[in-house]
Amino acid sequence: MANGTPLKLGWLYPTLMSTYGDRGNLTCLQRRAEWRGIAVEVVALDRDSPAEAFAQVDVIVGGGAQDRQQELVMRDLQGEKGAGLKAALDGGTPGVFTCGSPQLLGHYYEPGVGQRIDGLGVLDLVSVHPGPDADRCIGNMVLKITASRLAADLQKMLGRVPYVIGFENHGGRTKLQTAEPFAQVIKGYGNNGEDGTEGAFQGNAIATYSHGPLLPKNPFLADWMLKKALERQRQEEVNLSPLDDAWADQGRVMMLNRLGVQESA
Amino acid sequence: MVDRIRLGLAIWVARVVTALVRSLGLGAASVLPGSVARRIQPQALRLLARQYGQGVVLVAGTNGKTTTSLLLRSMFEDHGFSVTHNATGANLVNGLTAALLADANWWGRIDRDVAILEVDENVLRLVLPEIRPRVLLALNLFRDQLDRYGEVDTIARRWREAIAPLENATVVLNGDDPTLSEFGQQLEKQWEDLARVQYFGLNEPDRYLEEIPHAVDSIYCPRCGTSLNYRGVYLSHLGDYQCPSCGFAKSKPRLNSADWPQILIGLYNKYNTLAAAATAQLFGVEETTLRGSIREFKAAFGRAEELTVEGTPVRILLSKNPVGTNETLRAIVELSQDRPHGATVLVVLNDRIPDGTDVSWIWDADTEKLAQSAGTIVVSGDRLYDMALRLTYSQPQPGAGARIIPEADLDQAIKQALAAVPAGETLYIVPTYSAMLEVRQILTGRGIL
Repeated sequence: MANGTPLKLGWLYPTLMSTYGDRGNLTCLQRRAEWRGIAVEVVALDRDSPAEAFAQVDVIVGGGAQDRQQELVMRDLQGEKGAGLKAALDGGTPGVFTCGSPQLLGHYYEPGVGQRIDGLGVLDLVSVHPGPDADRCIGNMVLKITASRLAADLQKMLGRVPYVIGFENHGGRTKLQTAEPFAQVIKGYGNNGEDGTEGAFQGNAIATYSHGPLLPKNPFLADWMLKKALERQRQEEVNLSPLDDAWADQGRVMMLNRLGVQESA
Repeated sequence: MVDRIRLGLAIWVARVVTALVRSLGLGAASVLPGSVARRIQPQALRLLARQYGQGVVLVAGTNGKTTTSLLLRSMFEDHGFSVTHNATGANLVNGLTAALLADANWWGRIDRDVAILEVDENVLRLVLPEIRPRVLLALNLFRDQLDRYGEVDTIARRWREAIAPLENATVVLNGDDPTLSEFGQQLEKQWEDLARVQYFGLNEPDRYLEEIPHAVDSIYCPRCGTSLNYRGVYLSHLGDYQCPSCGFAKSKPRLNSADWPQILIGLYNKYNTLAAAATAQLFGVEETTLRGSIREFKAAFGRAEELTVEGTPVRILLSKNPVGTNETLRAIVELSQDRPHGATVLVVLNDRIPDGTDVSWIWDADTEKLAQSAGTIVVSGDRLYDMALRLTYSQPQPGAGARIIPEADLDQAIKQALAAVPAGETLYIVPTYSAMLEVRQILTGRGIL
């Protein structure tokens, strides 16, 4: 039975920013809450949404966009909406930003064709696309979470910090400045294919190139986000009831075996 | 003259390669001979393509190339043309060359009337200047195999650049697809010849979808970027639309779709039917012939193919991207909605090169209706757990709806799925491309095909 004030799941630009199954992250959060009887409400944060809506959600989910769509989004986020989003994230609202959306949380993104797009500057990182003919970073990936606070929380929740599995497909290369990386690349390219870092972690926001999508494959991250959001809403410690994640576990084992990765304890 | 001699030599070597590959049981030799021939005669494709008296039709698009080409081929043959067609689906440059080579004599002469060549989206711009087709048929542009090619916008831009300089070519475009419609309208202006830009599309509002599906790629005006207004959607982003800002709207189709029958099942096959008919008309094929070809049409390899396995009717519905999958699932749910046990479905999801290595698209497919229905869904393939999770997350409570059974062993999965079919009902097999080949191989191994 659903109870309490519904948890508001904010979905950034559902039609503009959903390129590679990104809505799977939203579906995962929504179902895992509903399956436990926690009321949720999906709030589309779109071009016709009021600016307040951006600051009033409990969780934020952002996906990837093609370059043209990304430009439309950035234009819309100038001003109050962007400020609301930034305030929410700075204030600790949990979020997951996959594929293209970390680029717009950084300082700027330079697309393969066209002009530099200014980002929100929430994350201290920059992204540059090396041009339309450059190779894209494509493939299955395995990540070891290095973001210290997130790793500590997971250790407490699960007694271990599982590897994250995903799939990346991006032309842009991201360089972190002072932002803390989300993870270390075990398999794959990561932020730029060079420095072994992947994504960024700040406040309670996870930014990563790993789509695939991220949360249904790694349900512990979804539960961590729900727990954070509920604790912020209820102002007390929340322990979620366990769900049957046997299929996600089996899928993980299959992928790690295929990639020849041994998960360290 | 030198060109001719080299072409002859290229053909001779290609023939030997073909014979070797086949005799060693290495495959159907649908690509390698083309590669070898092009090394000896780099102009091979151009020299072969220009020999067709009725010209060449290039068929491009994300979904429906094979089905449409096969129907067009029937229409041409029923009209009396002799046809070359790259029937194996080898649609990259070497595959196209190999298909033309196979119909040339030892001197490099071809005496067929017309060639139908399915072309990969990204190869199109490379072969256009060499093949110089009489007709380019562009079916649709959906999000497919993005991991190989980048994104829909980029593909559209490259197509436009490649087609514009072609003199004497006619384009047949899906007017319900905003990207292709805009593309045609640009060409109309540039070429100043309306007869060279033809459209096909639907005008049957009673077949609109109730809501716009999620797997939509471009519902923004390709001209000015404003959100398009849709009076209705037929599938994915194909529909009746207009831009509130710049006035851009759907182009008028050549045929009135309501007057035409269709092949197979599913609305996407209505599009394929209209595409083939509109193209064949440009070659003077009579309407009575077209209607006869449509009536007689049999399903292409793995595309809505119907078989009987141990007494159970089985339909194989190739499914390789969200749009195709949505249409397939819609057809399955509709066909079984009044059945007490719902549908029995075997979904096989692979992530090899021909399938696209990224399976995240399954989250863009609308699996809810099937997963919440009363049926049984057996799941197999390289990424069976990804698919099992997709289906579970489509249910309001895990298990509230269809029974979901993951089975890694495909042979076993087929057995289980067959056993789950209630008497008198059909098993629907929904595989990705490489999975379809595996399914067929297993059925063939049992002496079924």
